[in-house]
Amino acid sequence: MKFSKKLAAFAAIGLALIGTAACSKSNNSSSSDKIPSKITKKTTVVFWHGMVGVQQSTLQKLTQEFEKQNPKINVKLESQGSYNDLQAKINSTLQSPNNLPTITQAYPGWLWNAAQNKMLVNLTPYINNKNVGWGSAKASDIRTELLDDAKIKGTQYGIPFNKSIETLTYNEDMFKKYGIKKVPTTMEELKNASETIYKKSNHKVVGAGFDSLSNYYVLGMKDNGVNFNDKIDFSGSTSKKVINYYADGIKKGYFRVAGSEHYLSGPFANEKVAMFIGTSAGEGFVKQGVGNKFTYNVAARPGKYTMQQGTDIYMFNHASADQKAAAFKYIKFLVSKSSQLKWANATGYIPVNNAVINSKEYKNNTDLKLPAKLSSSMKYLYSVPVEKNSNATYSQLNSIIQTILSAAQKNQNVNNAINAGKTKFDAAWKQ
Amino acid sequence: MKPNQKRAWLFLAPTIIFVTFFSIYPILRAFIMSFQGGPLINMAWNGVSNYQYIFHDPEFWLALKNTILYSLISVPVALAISIMLAWFIFSKVKSKSFFETTFFMPYVTSTIAIGIVFRYIFNGDYGLLNFILRTLHLPAPNWIDDPAMSLTTIILFGIWTSLAFNIVILMGALRNIDPNYYTIANMYGASGTEKFWRITMPQLIPTIAFLLTMNIIAAFKIYTSVYALFNGQAGVGNSATTAVFYIYNKFQIVGTPGVAMAATVVLFLIILFITFLQRKMMKKIGGR
Repeated sequence: MKFSKKLAAFAAIGLALIGTAACSKSNNSSSSDKIPSKITKKTTVVFWHGMVGVQQSTLQKLTQEFEKQNPKINVKLESQGSYNDLQAKINSTLQSPNNLPTITQAYPGWLWNAAQNKMLVNLTPYINNKNVGWGSAKASDIRTELLDDAKIKGTQYGIPFNKSIETLTYNEDMFKKYGIKKVPTTMEELKNASETIYKKSNHKVVGAGFDSLSNYYVLGMKDNGVNFNDKIDFSGSTSKKVINYYADGIKKGYFRVAGSEHYLSGPFANEKVAMFIGTSAGEGFVKQGVGNKFTYNVAARPGKYTMQQGTDIYMFNHASADQKAAAFKYIKFLVSKSSQLKWANATGYIPVNNAVINSKEYKNNTDLKLPAKLSSSMKYLYSVPVEKNSNATYSQLNSIIQTILSAAQKNQNVNNAINAGKTKFDAAWKQ
Repeated sequence: MKPNQKRAWLFLAPTIIFVTFFSIYPILRAFIMSFQGGPLINMAWNGVSNYQYIFHDPEFWLALKNTILYSLISVPVALAISIMLAWFIFSKVKSKSFFETTFFMPYVTSTIAIGIVFRYIFNGDYGLLNFILRTLHLPAPNWIDDPAMSLTTIILFGIWTSLAFNIVILMGALRNIDPNYYTIANMYGASGTEKFWRITMPQLIPTIAFLLTMNIIAAFKIYTSVYALFNGQAGVGNSATTAVFYIYNKFQIVGTPGVAMAATVVLFLIILFITFLQRKMMKKIGGR
């Protein structure tokens, strides 16, 4: 019996330990909405992000700089892997709000439910606060469209941080070789240039391709005056026109898709494709891949609109008033002129700050091709609207278009594939 | 007997607690969630509409079809090849331990790493496999980027990866067969085939039953190899989507945990049913 008593005692201790561990993450939320004007106590800000490679190292450098300027604030950077992993992590942690970070990178669509459940901080009071913010949104000098895109149902929950646009990357040497004098600015010109290259290279070089098929479709529709929402008739005439433009190119061989490689920067660097449309944040990879093999250049995306993408920074409600104020100071630092200049020059993301876009230091950056072309490339920006299921449908769209285009590749009936795609497209909106 | 039983509960307590919290509770929770709608943070009773949704979703049927086809093809084929290889190594090869180690290597390597290597081997343009096929003047399909080939590619990959574990377990079983059987069979002049079918196979039945059950369950839960082979997605145009892919996508990306859990319950029932069927079948064959 003695032994069993001992065992029981151990079990009791074990259970008690589990219990205390579960409770030790006590609630430190504060209901006070007062924004402290100064951080007097040591405050820790946890920041979840999905940055890798040079993006991550630049973020670390910026953070160190911030901590030097604000010795009371400690920013803990926690990398969560890719965007998909980050989204999944946020999604599952929303259940236990105390384990959420102070701030996170996110697309507004991911946080639709969190906003509905009042788990996010409305940042307008912080923006308008003179001590931790700028005093007004205008004084922040952040591009208005970008700021608007970080709203969920009209409330400013996010501050844009790492933003990119879609651009056209092309092989200048190949353009000379095959007599393409003008960089395509419309979809018609893109098609003609691609056809010429494909023919003159004896079918060795594919003209062009699009990295993101979701973006291809969404922007194709937008250029035809149709916004991305659940009213789109996927098998309607406009939709068919947009899809067939790409499908025809694939049938005839002058267009291609990235397939399971996801990005065309690889085939582009290997001179298998003469130009491609992809994110500006990929320029670092293009540069590395191309090396000294040929000269590449960047131009505005053909067509009127380009996609504005990349994440914003959002703040969760559970943090203490001090943490929130400290986090906002950090956000303010990240989008300041000097930080954005370093950030954009190192990564290929676009500056969110008007002063940087127009600054000489940025435009004269010769390491990357984008800076000189940026202001002409982002005249008309579009982004996936933040609505219920729009994010889910947007990601589903990629596989729907992939299926249709692979039918085209095998010379099967594209119309049937579009009709099959319509079922999936409509189902994605209604879940 | 009675005092013993009381104490038994005490010894069982840690396991019971762990199993209740980490196995039984999740199953019940998943079952309850499958009747709820809305986001994870704010779920509400939803009736059977999640089940209605998945049964009307073509993507779900595709996922189930792919999973079942994968299991029904890759598991028996892999098992047959494993038995052949194991028997070959056991009876014909001298340096057994070397080959055993070689065959076991893939099992201790991460699936993601193997998947990435196979992505290059299977590549349609510059892959090793197509290079060999072309030199032999055989058709060289686009293994990775053609939706019609996705399932075949995963099955091939699945067969290759499951060989390692199977062979090692089978080798162990072969060693455990009493050598006297073979000695006596030799005395009576039995042929190699006779020895294999009359002695080896019947002796292997329990091991094969075990492997079949484990492999089928693992095959129904396939996720990692698809993820690795197709670079993070379920094949071009989601053509190789599997049940677990569907569940993950609905749970984490789309944000409808109720639908994901409904699919989980359906998958759970299918695995349960097939395992049950298998045990019945094996009992009949093995006569135990």
